[in-house]
Amino acid sequence: MSAPTLAPRTTPSGYLLPSIHSAPPFFTQQPNPNTQAVVTEHWTKLILSYARHRRLFMLRVEDAEVAGNDWDEILRNEQIHRRLLPSHLEHIITDMVEKNRAVYEPARQTRSVLLYWRTPEEWAEVLHGWADATGQLNTILTFYEIIEPPVPSQLSGIPMTLLRKAISVLAKTSRAQIISVADGEGVRLLPGNSSR
Amino acid sequence: MRRLGGVGLAAFERQQQSQRSFAELSSELSKAQVEHLHAQMDHFRSALVRFATTHRDKIRKDPAFRHAFQRMCASIGVDPLAGPRKGGWWAEVLNLGDWQYELGVQIVDVCVSTRERNGGLIEMGELVRLVTRLRAVEQGSITEEDVIRSIKTLKPLGAGYEVIDVGGGKKMVRSVVKELDEDQAVVLAIAQDEGGRVSEELLVVRRGWAVERARAALENMLLRDGLCWLDEQDESGSPAYWVPSAMHWDE
Repeated sequence: MSAPTLAPRTTPSGYLLPSIHSAPPFFTQQPNPNTQAVVTEHWTKLILSYARHRRLFMLRVEDAEVAGNDWDEILRNEQIHRRLLPSHLEHIITDMVEKNRAVYEPARQTRSVLLYWRTPEEWAEVLHGWADATGQLNTILTFYEIIEPPVPSQLSGIPMTLLRKAISVLAKTSRAQIISVADGEGVRLLPGNSSR
Repeated sequence: MRRLGGVGLAAFERQQQSQRSFAELSSELSKAQVEHLHAQMDHFRSALVRFATTHRDKIRKDPAFRHAFQRMCASIGVDPLAGPRKGGWWAEVLNLGDWQYELGVQIVDVCVSTRERNGGLIEMGELVRLVTRLRAVEQGSITEEDVIRSIKTLKPLGAGYEVIDVGGGKKMVRSVVKELDEDQAVVLAIAQDEGGRVSEELLVVRRGWAVERARAALENMLLRDGLCWLDEQDESGSPAYWVPSAMHWDE
C-alpha cells in the first residue's frame, strides 16, 4: 500500500491534475497552521485553474458533501480513496474570500462563492476587448446579448453579478455607461484608453 | 643525589653551555629541514598545479575523475577549498571555486523552493536530481559528494545547511536551523523505506517503541516542526503521517 509515486494525471475532462493531488494527506486539514497555509494555497490554485478549464463560476461547500457534481474530479481522488471534507473546503473558501480570489455569492452567507479565476478588472478588459473586436463599441448592448451572444465568446455564460462588477470597473474610467432599456438594463461601451 | 655533569657552579655552567650548543645545533638542523620541506612543498605544489591544469577539463566534467582527484588531495592533506584567496586553491588553479559556489547557490535555490512542501528537509537523491535538472546537464554530472562539498562552503553563511545521515545509507539535507532528535531520525528512516508514510503502529511494530513514544515523536514533527503532513483518511482507520521529503514526487 505504500510508496506510491506521485505523478501528474489527466482527468476525463482533459484537466492535468498536479502530482500533489495524488498525495493522501493533501485531503486532510492540517493542524499545523504553516502547513495548512501551504495546503490552502495549493487547493486555491487547483480550484481556480480547474474552474477556468471547465468555465465553472460557482463553488459550494455542498459540492464536497455528495458526489455527482461538476467538482468531483478535483474534490475526490478515487484512486487513493480520498476526498476533501466539507469543513476543509469551507476553510479554503474563507481564505479565498479573504484574499479576493472569490466572493460570497449571494452575500451574507459563507457556503457558496463566486470564483475569481479572472478578477472583475480582468473581466472588464475582456468585455471591452470583445466589444471592440466585434465592432460593438458605442452601441447599446443588453446584458442578455453579452451573456448569450450569437457567436460564443469568452463572456458566454458569465454570471450577472460578475458582469455588473466588470461594467462598473469600466464605468469608473468612462468606458461604459449603464442605460435602461425596454426589457431591463443595457450598457454602452465606449472607446477609451484600456491601459488607464 | 648525583647529577649529570657533576655538582657545583662549574658543572652548572658547563651544563648551560652544552644546552646552548644543543639548541643552536637543533635550530640549525630544523632550519635546514624546514627549508628542505619548503622546497619539497614548492616542488609538490607545482606538480599538483601542473597536474590540475593539464586535467582541468576532465576534473570539471568527469565526476569519477573529480572524485579520484579529491581523494588524492585528501590523502596527502591538501584541502582544495582552503587557500590564500577567496575560493581557495580550487578557484586559483581550476576555476572550480566558482563552480562550487554556483552549485551552492543552486542547492540553496532547490532547498528554499521546496521548503514549503518538505518543511526544510530534503532527501539527498532528490536534491541531486533537482539540482541536476536546474543546471540542465546530463544525469550523473553532479554527484552526492559535490553537493556535500558545496554545502560545506555554505557553512560561513550560518544558514544552518547540514547533511544528516538517517541510516541505511540514506542522507537528507536540512536547510532550516532545527534540532533533529534521535527519535525523529528513526521516523525519517522509516518514512524513507515506506515512500513517505509513517504511523504509530509502524513505529511500535518495527522499532518496539511504546505507543506514547511513537505518538510524541510524530506529534512533534507534525505540530512543532512542520516536517510531516497528517492523513486522517488512512485505510488503517488511524491517522497516518506523511513526510513530504521522503515521498516519491514525479513532476
